[in-house]
Amino acid sequence: MAALATFHRLFIANRGEVAVRIAKACDALGITPVFGVSEADAGAAYLDGRETVRLGPGRAAGSYLDAVRVVQAARQSGCTALHPGWGFLAENPTFAALCESHGVTFVGPPAHVMHLMGKKTPAKQAMRAAGLQLIPGSDGVLADVEQARAVADEIGYPVLIKAESGGGGRGMRIARGSGEVAEAFADAQAEARAAFGDPRVYMERLVEGGRHVEIQVMADRYGQAVHLGERDCTVQRNHQKLIEESPSPVLPEAVRAQSLAAAVEATCRIGYVGAGTMEFLLDGDGVLRFMEMNTRLQVEHCVSEMRSGVDLVREQLRVAAGHPLSLRQEQLELRGHAIECRINAEDPSQGFRPAPGTITRWQSPDGAADATGSTVRVDTHVSSGYRIPPHYDSLICKVIAHGPSRDAAADRMLVALSELVCEGVPTTVPMHRAILASEAFRHNRYDTRAIPGWPGSPGSPSRPGSPAGDRPA
Amino acid sequence: MKRAQVDGRLFTPELVARLERDGTALVLRSPAVGLWRGAPAAGSMVSPGGLVGELEILGVLHRLRAPDDAGGVVLERPGPAAARRAVAYDDELLRLDPEAGPARAGVGEGGGVAQAEAGGLVFRSPLSGRFYVRPAPGQEAFVKAGDVIEVGRTVALLEVMKTFNRVAYGGEGLPSSARVLEVVPADEADVDEDDVLLRVEPV
Repeated sequence: MAALATFHRLFIANRGEVAVRIAKACDALGITPVFGVSEADAGAAYLDGRETVRLGPGRAAGSYLDAVRVVQAARQSGCTALHPGWGFLAENPTFAALCESHGVTFVGPPAHVMHLMGKKTPAKQAMRAAGLQLIPGSDGVLADVEQARAVADEIGYPVLIKAESGGGGRGMRIARGSGEVAEAFADAQAEARAAFGDPRVYMERLVEGGRHVEIQVMADRYGQAVHLGERDCTVQRNHQKLIEESPSPVLPEAVRAQSLAAAVEATCRIGYVGAGTMEFLLDGDGVLRFMEMNTRLQVEHCVSEMRSGVDLVREQLRVAAGHPLSLRQEQLELRGHAIECRINAEDPSQGFRPAPGTITRWQSPDGAADATGSTVRVDTHVSSGYRIPPHYDSLICKVIAHGPSRDAAADRMLVALSELVCEGVPTTVPMHRAILASEAFRHNRYDTRAIPGWPGSPGSPSRPGSPAGDRPA
Repeated sequence: MKRAQVDGRLFTPELVARLERDGTALVLRSPAVGLWRGAPAAGSMVSPGGLVGELEILGVLHRLRAPDDAGGVVLERPGPAAARRAVAYDDELLRLDPEAGPARAGVGEGGGVAQAEAGGLVFRSPLSGRFYVRPAPGQEAFVKAGDVIEVGRTVALLEVMKTFNRVAYGGEGLPSSARVLEVVPADEADVDEDDVLLRVEPV
């Protein structure tokens, strides 16, 4: 593997945990990573001994989100490829095109595919053509209120009016009866125009309390694609994923097989390249319905890595360098059960208030196998003395447990979380321990609306009418 | 993408260097990521708000200016003396001495074309010959008092041994952009090497 021709130098246009993750894959392939860093991140311990280029001030708009600065930094540091990680510019087709036009290989899908998947209606049409089930809704964008009401009457209430160019929960309104359609339509349009500069909206039936299931796919430039199984990310708070696991404990076997095959088919059809994730909603009837595709590596990719043994970032870099996939579907064996907990610097007892500050003492859990053969992987960029800057998201660590069964993995995770030491800032570890120990989690009695085993925290549990069809970050 | 790509063929975008005070010295730092070129040499004068070279960002040249409240003589220019130097955000570009006025700015070497005199910067003749202020009789003068000129701008013709030579503005110690205060020799006057041709001030 080390002798494989890929890139000499690769620019990491991201920070924190994902930057460390990408650098690890670069090290394994003999690629020199160059980190783009903001003023707030310069000098962090995870950059020790690494090449860095200072991009701009701490605020992301002047550093990690400034496409021109990032591409220029990649060019002048001699990098021929760029990995965007997740968030920031990772799903910006203009940025991908800017990289390519300046001779920097963007590690991700082609810009036109990213653009297609960023607009909701063409994405859904492509998925329907590939044989995936969709959430019933309007056939494309809605022309006016009359059409909205007609479509809503046909598909049944409650309905969700969503922004065509939206994301992150903005530009969405619920109508529970025909009397509410006009107001919801106008509000959604106004918010979509303000937030995304595109007032077009479409309609879907609101599926309340479904489970969030997603399928990891990987494709090369030669029309080959594989899936790496599904992930269940139902444990969420305000559309922010907290715990992800694979396989989904509630997905019927027949639906799983059919959906995985359809996802691979759809990946090939749209000309996808690299790692991607199709997000679905599993409704009360056990039907997996396509919501959207994320055209990037995801935070929870480690869950699929633990089950398949495939290094997804390494595979991304190989594919970006023009190599075919190193694995065929029939060679991929998905073993056991994996669970990931996202450890955020937030205080769960204070309504999940973000808590930037200095970690005075940090101790990662031990990864050794227990009696059942369950192991733990820890992905983090923090260490004792690390100062969490206030400019970025609160993710500080991911703990992933892998075991022969769901219970074994959850038990191993509980041991790992009890070993994790983080002094100086509050974390979401107590919440994770409560969830994993709860009856509701162990017996799958939960959906996206409430956190199992963690009631009473302000703002966290069921928000009636919370649209389950939205995408967590 | 937050910012549209600027087309450098149509207009020249500008950036202002970041300023930091270090004792009595002023430190100019890069406001962006790019390739810095046309850096002023040590000993040359940087006027407040004046040009300190250009920053090439994705092939587009951005004029790089000193902040309006920072000027002085370049004490030191760290880094390799390359034609283009890759700089990151906040990298040190120049160290200025704000106390040193224009009078002490000149560093004209033997035969140099520029030197400061008491009262301002001057551009000197590189050769001896006959001085013409206009390209041909009846045409506009190349430059007149009040014009703003850049390095490389033709300011006069010099007839030397039956050959007409274009005299281009520029040289050690002169700002890359300057306002003409006076064109010293009369049209068709004979000038010697090192005679003052123009009195200028930085802009």
